[in-house]
Amino acid sequence: MFRLAVKSVRHNPKRLVLTAVAVALGVALAAATFTLTNALSGGFTKLFEEIYAGTDVIVEVDPDADPAEEDPFAATESVFTGADVDEVAAVDGVSSAWGGRQVMGSVLAADFEPTNDVMAGGGPPSQLFNWAGDPRVDQATLVEGDGPAADDEIVLDLDSAPNLGYAIGDTVSVATEAGVEEFTLVGLVRFGESNSLQGATLGYMTDARSAAINGDDGYEQISVIVEDGANQDAVAEAIGEILPPDTRAITGEAKAAEQTEAFDEILQYIDIFAIAFALIALFVGAYIIVNTFRIIVTQRTREFGLMRAIGVSGRQLRTMILLEALVVAVASSTIGIVVGYLGALGLSTLVEAFSGDIFGTVTLPLDAVLWGYSLGALVTIVAAIMPAIHASTISPMEALRESATESKKPLRLRNVVGGALTLLGVLAIVVGLYMDIERPYIPVGAGAMILIIGVTLLAAQVLVPLAYGLKATLTRIFRVDGKLAANNIHREPRRSANTAAALMIGVMLLALVATFTESMKSLVTEQFKGNSADFFVFSSQGAIPTGAIEVIEGEDGVAYVTSTGLGTVLLDGGTTNVGVIDPETADLAFDYNNEPDFDQMDGGVFIDPSMVEAGYEVGDELTLEGPEGTATLTVTGRYLNEGDAQVWIDEDTGHELLGDYPLAQSMVVLDDDVDAAEAQDQLLEALAVDYPLVVLQSPGEFEQLANQFIDLLLGIISAMLGAALVIALLGVANTLLLSVTERTREIGLLRAVGVRRRSIRRMIRIESMVMAIFGTILGMILGVGLGAALVRALEDFGFTTITIPWVWLLLYTISAAIAGVLAAVWPARRAAKLDILQAIAFDG
Amino acid sequence: MTTSTTVTIAASMRGGTKDYGSGDAAVRALDGLDVDIAQSEFTAIMGPSGSGKSTLLHTLAGLDRLTAGESWIGETQITGLSEDKITQVRRDKIGFVFQAFNLIPSLSARENITLPLDIAGRDIDPAWFEEIISILGLGDRLTHLPAELSGGQQQRVAVARALVARPELIFADEPSGNLDSRSGAELLGFMRRAVKEFGQTIVMVTHDPTAASYSDRVLFLADGRIVDEMREPTADRVLDRMKQMGH
Repeated sequence: MFRLAVKSVRHNPKRLVLTAVAVALGVALAAATFTLTNALSGGFTKLFEEIYAGTDVIVEVDPDADPAEEDPFAATESVFTGADVDEVAAVDGVSSAWGGRQVMGSVLAADFEPTNDVMAGGGPPSQLFNWAGDPRVDQATLVEGDGPAADDEIVLDLDSAPNLGYAIGDTVSVATEAGVEEFTLVGLVRFGESNSLQGATLGYMTDARSAAINGDDGYEQISVIVEDGANQDAVAEAIGEILPPDTRAITGEAKAAEQTEAFDEILQYIDIFAIAFALIALFVGAYIIVNTFRIIVTQRTREFGLMRAIGVSGRQLRTMILLEALVVAVASSTIGIVVGYLGALGLSTLVEAFSGDIFGTVTLPLDAVLWGYSLGALVTIVAAIMPAIHASTISPMEALRESATESKKPLRLRNVVGGALTLLGVLAIVVGLYMDIERPYIPVGAGAMILIIGVTLLAAQVLVPLAYGLKATLTRIFRVDGKLAANNIHREPRRSANTAAALMIGVMLLALVATFTESMKSLVTEQFKGNSADFFVFSSQGAIPTGAIEVIEGEDGVAYVTSTGLGTVLLDGGTTNVGVIDPETADLAFDYNNEPDFDQMDGGVFIDPSMVEAGYEVGDELTLEGPEGTATLTVTGRYLNEGDAQVWIDEDTGHELLGDYPLAQSMVVLDDDVDAAEAQDQLLEALAVDYPLVVLQSPGEFEQLANQFIDLLLGIISAMLGAALVIALLGVANTLLLSVTERTREIGLLRAVGVRRRSIRRMIRIESMVMAIFGTILGMILGVGLGAALVRALEDFGFTTITIPWVWLLLYTISAAIAGVLAAVWPARRAAKLDILQAIAFDG
Repeated sequence: MTTSTTVTIAASMRGGTKDYGSGDAAVRALDGLDVDIAQSEFTAIMGPSGSGKSTLLHTLAGLDRLTAGESWIGETQITGLSEDKITQVRRDKIGFVFQAFNLIPSLSARENITLPLDIAGRDIDPAWFEEIISILGLGDRLTHLPAELSGGQQQRVAVARALVARPELIFADEPSGNLDSRSGAELLGFMRRAVKEFGQTIVMVTHDPTAASYSDRVLFLADGRIVDEMREPTADRVLDRMKQMGH
């Protein structure tokens, strides 16, 4: 049986080529992702190992500290004092201990000019630390010059210094939250073995200077070197006993492993994301496989009838078809894995050419091979099951028939099942979106899947009247070519529907994303309507420095600056996001969606819809526990948008609970008679002295910026869906190609009675275009519908209007028509080139 | 036998040679054949299997090209024409009836009949259409799809399609080959009436002496040449002649 299956594949490989390409494309997407994330993981594992290579034991805040599962505010705190460092140094087996702290700041390039561009500070950040002078602690070795001895001295890594335009002896400017600090470059260091910093700038200054800039002489961690021969684990344990609560001692090795694990977890999400898109691509591919095998079974009806007549059982026939599918799956998965690997290799080389060495060795991971084969085989076999069952029911009498007759089975069963699935899918989506359930994406995702299959089944019924309706129009425009094309579409409604549906899926997702992103843009526009602020303050790197706000406030023409801060507090044992505003000015600058206005806060808190759902209401007393203090406050109002912050407090309470909290957003309001453009120049000039990375965006600029990000999102997702769309077009081409083979005699007859090649080509093209446009329109209806449902479900997050992306829809339709023409190129040429005599004699 | 003084030629071939394959495997299907098909005559081409009769029909009709020699449809020399031009000649001047699979399955009987006119963008002559339909007895079958017609009805639709455009010539390849004897006789009767009543020219390939007896003139082919011809044939005379040829 297996030999028969292989022979059958080899006997007529052409009709399986496009099927194989479809499977290979989906598999390649998955394989490439696995290869890339694996290489990325390799690169970062090396980085983490180098960071912790020299340090034997690290003393730090325990990330698992009580009472909260994840202690949110301890991570960046300086928890160790100089005395703590001395105590650790005195523990038995400790050779030396060094308190480390990081300075938040950016090393400015030598030719840095302040610009009002939010992206100016983009790219890898600067990593600035206090200098220990011990390579095992610093993880950096001095390769030129001296270490920073005086407080105005700095060393940089050997790649960044020339990149930024600095040589030893130059003055280096560093923008910190406390203003621009100047240093003299006295030496160059190499990080680890090969200075592979993934693009970041590394710098060291003296301990005293770092403490001065941070305004805090505490340390974030203590690096410990043990005495020769001492057991690291034992020392770590000994240190642990004398540590303050909520801190821990961990060996460097264990720390590196922990970091690698955490990073791999992030990469897993990328894998899952990519697998989702690969699955979409393969799901579309499955439609092609179903069609291909269905057509092949029809074409081989007589062959199968003959086999049944000479004693082959139906079960054996079924097995044979599935084996054929398996042969195709294995071959195309192999190609897919290889192509995916090569693609990843090419991409990583390209990326490294631009942004340095961020990948480890690019090898083909076992994951890629396993996932590739299982996805490829699963999809192919599942898709071939129905056609295989159909083949097994062929009667031996079929062998005696004159030609392969198409059985005109009624569509009733298909319609009933399709209708039921469509309803079920819609129901699941509604439940997921509007009912308050946990993990709503499961019913939504499953519902979308069921809906697609349901609509695919129903599409056959829609196509019949549609093809009839189009027949008159097509006949009028294209005369007999159009009539024949319309006939061909409705002759095999199942096949045409499946083909169109493959395209429908891709377009549906595109339309969904477009509807969502366009609605998001409307949301942005909507929000800006309630804005009275003249400028939004941003920092192109890190948080907005408090000093910068003071600079702005000190300028003439500025009425006031109102800022929003963010932090985390504990409420009834759980972590809660908190927003800090100035109740006096917040609502003047921006029309927040709240009840009542913030100026009625009266030292209390406002709560958002998620809090209301959790059972809190106006008048309740909340006890908020922050890192700096605890306060019991009355709920005095509601903030009506979900997703910004769960509770809102005023600035005094903010400082009481959080101490110095990072500013997320600041808005500048000018005096009435001040020209905004002039004021912007004036303020930027004032900021350039100490805060060159702070920029001011007018509402128009900000809105444009927000829209740019939204467009970028749309672009990335569209690109990921590209594979699914290409597969869908291959599907159209494939179906046409197979149906040309099936209609060989008919085409030969048309040619004999005087139809020109050009007309034959045009007939196939019209068929292709109609199917493509039909699939696109179905996809757009579904996509816009789902997108609208999604936007409605997110009403609590501020979505007010559903924007239908007309421009995109028009673009999709035009693209579909063009794609239809392209997909028809090969089939049309095949049809036109058929030799008339052979075609007439063709044993259909 | 009447002698006509001026016979108009509907199609002709001079030195028609057709080789299939090349080198040692080459087979000569037509071997320098000369033939004239007279207008308004029913010509039958007979011969044993492999005699080249189908090849003669295909090359005369412009479905296939000669290796050497020339052929004409009416005044038009078709050897040397481009594929598109030949297609146009077929469309405007020639009708076909094949042994089987004559009809486009997705078109109704009426649409199949008018297909050549639709392709050419010509208008239907309703009187002529009605006349053909009534002669062929297809009046109540026009809206049916080919799959819903009997074999005889399908072939009659094919003949109607060949007649409707009033072509200069109709080529028929074993038109009754798949029919039972009664349907076959009926079909051949219609074809003969078309020649007698409308002056239609028909060239038919057959190996059935009874079918050949409906024609005005029978050409006998052997080894790619015309070896004999017979006017006013009867089935018995044709059968005798075929027996002589060792059929």
